[in-house]
Amino acid sequence: MNWKKFFFAFIAAFGFMFLFGFLWYGKLMHGPHQEVPILWRTEADFGNHFSSLVFGHVVMAFFLTLLYARFVPAGGAGVCAMLGILVALIYAGADLITFAVQPLTAKILCGWIAGHLIQFTIAGAMIGAIYKTDSRTTA
Amino acid sequence: MKRFILAFIAAYIFIFFWGWLLNGVFFKDVYAQTPNLWRPQSEMMSLFHWIIIGQALIVFAFVMIYASGFAGGGVMAGIRLGVLVEIAAIGMRLGFYAVQPFPGKLIFYGSASGLIEMIIVGAIVGAIYKPAPARTA
Repeated sequence: MNWKKFFFAFIAAFGFMFLFGFLWYGKLMHGPHQEVPILWRTEADFGNHFSSLVFGHVVMAFFLTLLYARFVPAGGAGVCAMLGILVALIYAGADLITFAVQPLTAKILCGWIAGHLIQFTIAGAMIGAIYKTDSRTTA
Repeated sequence: MKRFILAFIAAYIFIFFWGWLLNGVFFKDVYAQTPNLWRPQSEMMSLFHWIIIGQALIVFAFVMIYASGFAGGGVMAGIRLGVLVEIAAIGMRLGFYAVQPFPGKLIFYGSASGLIEMIIVGAIVGAIYKPAPARTA
């Protein structure tokens, strides 16, 4: 495994997923989320748990990068984007289960599923593009 | 294709009963500590089909990933895939913990049981799914 490329791919994946999460789930979906305020922590309480959010994204980005690197050792944006879609389907399945047990609205469910599809497909393409093996070094 | 379907069915049956055993029996008391976060029992039952579809989607995507990139490695490759997928999911769970008032105990139990679940799912899929042998002229 090329650890230098792996590290850059991981940093890029973390940066993108954290920023996308903030924009999509925190800003764009703020209105739909506020339709069920009982489900969320208060601003102050969220601030106290912010480190969990950051650490969770670090863990997610690291292990997804590891998954992509093992799945396609040669890398490549297209193949890794396809894997991203499959990974997003796993999370979409979890979203459907959450919808059945928590009082989420259909709007929140659709937003989460769309968010996961976009997030993991782009993250996959980024990881694949960065991790891609240089053909000159493998020849 | 036949082995793909067999792996899917076996993993699905396991995930269904594991989910029922953990969430419906063992963690019942932990869920009861945060009733505001959950739908009433009757409402959950009316949406039960979404649980079935959600679990099927998870298993389908898992078998697809295994078949496209890990097949041939057998049980160990399946377990490795299960561990990678689940630890990434634990990251997601920590994110939910930051925004939803879940008890820490629930996140810990959910993550530990999720890891065991995906290790077993990986082992099942790895044991059943075998890539088609390469055709020789």
